Amino acid sequence: MTLITDTTSMTPTPLDVPPAAEPLPKQSRGRIHVGFWIALVWVAALLLMAIFADQLSFIRLPTTAVKNHGRSTAGYKLGPGWNAWFGVDSTGRDVFSKVIYGARTTLKVGLWSTVIGLLVGTFMGLIAGYFKGMYDRVISIVVDIMLAVPPLVLAIIIVYRVGDLQQDRPGDPGILKWFTRTEQITVVLSLLAIAPLARIVRALTMSLAQRDFVLAARSVGAKNFRIITREILPNLIPAMMSVAFTGLALLISAEAALAFLGFSVETGTPTWGKMINASYRDMDKAWWATLFPSLVLFLTVLAFNVIGDRIARHYDIREAAL
Amino acid sequence: MSRNYPTRPETGVLLDVENLATGFKTGRGLVRAVDGVSLKLDRGKALGIVGESGSGKTILSRSIMGLLPRRGVVRAGEVRFEGARIDQLTIKQMRQYWGKEMAMIFQDPMTSLNPLMKIGAQITEPLKTHLGMGRETASDTAEKLLVDVGIPEAHRRLNQYPHELSGGMRQRVMIAIAMACGPTMLFADEPTTALDVTVQAQILDLLEEQRRDRNMSLILVTHDLGVVAGHTDEIVVMYAGKVVEKAPTDVLFSQMRHPYTEALLASIPKIEQPSHTRLHAIAGRPPDLVNPPTGCRFAPRCQYAQDRCRQQEPPLTAGEHPEHAYACWFPVVTGGFDRPAATDATTDSNVAVTIGGLR
Repeated sequence: MTLITDTTSMTPTPLDVPPAAEPLPKQSRGRIHVGFWIALVWVAALLLMAIFADQLSFIRLPTTAVKNHGRSTAGYKLGPGWNAWFGVDSTGRDVFSKVIYGARTTLKVGLWSTVIGLLVGTFMGLIAGYFKGMYDRVISIVVDIMLAVPPLVLAIIIVYRVGDLQQDRPGDPGILKWFTRTEQITVVLSLLAIAPLARIVRALTMSLAQRDFVLAARSVGAKNFRIITREILPNLIPAMMSVAFTGLALLISAEAALAFLGFSVETGTPTWGKMINASYRDMDKAWWATLFPSLVLFLTVLAFNVIGDRIARHYDIREAAL
Repeated sequence: MSRNYPTRPETGVLLDVENLATGFKTGRGLVRAVDGVSLKLDRGKALGIVGESGSGKTILSRSIMGLLPRRGVVRAGEVRFEGARIDQLTIKQMRQYWGKEMAMIFQDPMTSLNPLMKIGAQITEPLKTHLGMGRETASDTAEKLLVDVGIPEAHRRLNQYPHELSGGMRQRVMIAIAMACGPTMLFADEPTTALDVTVQAQILDLLEEQRRDRNMSLILVTHDLGVVAGHTDEIVVMYAGKVVEKAPTDVLFSQMRHPYTEALLASIPKIEQPSHTRLHAIAGRPPDLVNPPTGCRFAPRCQYAQDRCRQQEPPLTAGEHPEHAYACWFPVVTGGFDRPAATDATTDSNVAVTIGGLR
């Protein structure tokens, strides 16, 4: 509403002014909101710190015990301050550096599972939406099953079962030893990402396949592979990007939930969920050890959601204008 | 215009459609969109298929070309192209025809170009895949094609996206894409309906020019008799999936016999009429194609209909002119009908007149 009153109250521009000088098109294109930039800066900062944590001097190694005036700080003996920005945890480790190193694991798991979800989900959705018929029925059933299985139960089964198979037994060397905990969590989370992406891609493909330019491509003899990769897939990318970002937020919180329940990556590698799990019982003694990882988790999930939302709206406008 | 397309005979029958029927399976029953249509088209000739929405003209052209989905579609009849039957071919086999032998342009140039691909890429793609051209040859050919279809600054256009072009320009690009592999037959499915009136005549002239230059056959599908009048050799009038009248263009306009053809013509505004003359609309709607009425399908809307029309279906019978045929028990006699524009393209409707004056 405010946007409309804004434009009408403006003094009318004389006709000889070149159209580039008119403020209208830029506004109607949908301003990028402040929230979007804050979210982007947050994610970028977190990513940079996570990637270059080893090189940045203000980030300790998460395994370094923090000393306060030469004395050990084990047992939350140091609160947030100059020495340790987010305080220390029960073992006297710097919460801030653990949060940054935790971001490494969390983002790595989240990004990889999103990538796997995108690849597999898009492939399934394209096949179902373009070829329809039996392909569609089979893939839709698979997707429905994936959506029906509770992800937590699946995660627990996979992590337990794989862990069991990795044990050495007499006369039976453990198999699946190459399958690390991080990879197991990534696979579980990507299963979560595949189904919704496959559904969205299927629906969009069905509507795109009806469009005239696809028929036009067919009428000059384009093959299915070409139509899918050149005509349909590029048109899916905006929608997929927005779903991927929103999905990434979901996967990050799912990873934290799994870690909180004790199904997380290898011991020794920090993640936000694990940190919350390790210290939430001592919240009345040391609020910082629980609050800061939770806050960072919350802000990161929010940031990805804001970014995904913005992308969705941005491309909505363009789609309507086409 | 010297491109290395295969040499082809100059004359003779190119397309022979016999008793073609196409139906769609729906929950209510079989929709008989095309119901026993026969037509012939010679090389280098233009055929107009005329009828209102839902008369089956679009479905007819798509089933000739084999572009309809295979699932849920029932087909019968024969389609011969260059003497070979093509109605039984699989999609894979049809691809040898699409682009190289037959191509199609569509009603709405706004939606028939991929919004995310540059014009150049959209034209060069069929050149590269079908004619095996290299990147540079294809790009040069694309530029020549754009010049052929009358696009100024062709070189710059290659690097533009569809949204940077106007509707008329996009339709020209569509025509260039369809022409790219030198088809022997072009289907133009209401090519001017979505365009500004000032652009319509230009596009029709361009199609005719391309047809003559390349000795290509053209099937022009439209609801507007004015569009086909100056640009076709022969006209087929369709109603409810059937051919109700067909004749060479000048014969049709001078001796039209079917009341539907007459009604279609009467519904076109004419420039010589005083302004505010009431337009003649055809009352009612096309019949339900799941349960078509017995007898003549046009009878419920026909002002001359008699009992026989409602009971017995009229066959397609020959008129005085050997190539004229119509399906009506009580054909109208067009002696006093003012001969509209069939021979003179600039007066075929007020639309074309505007253009003619502008140029």
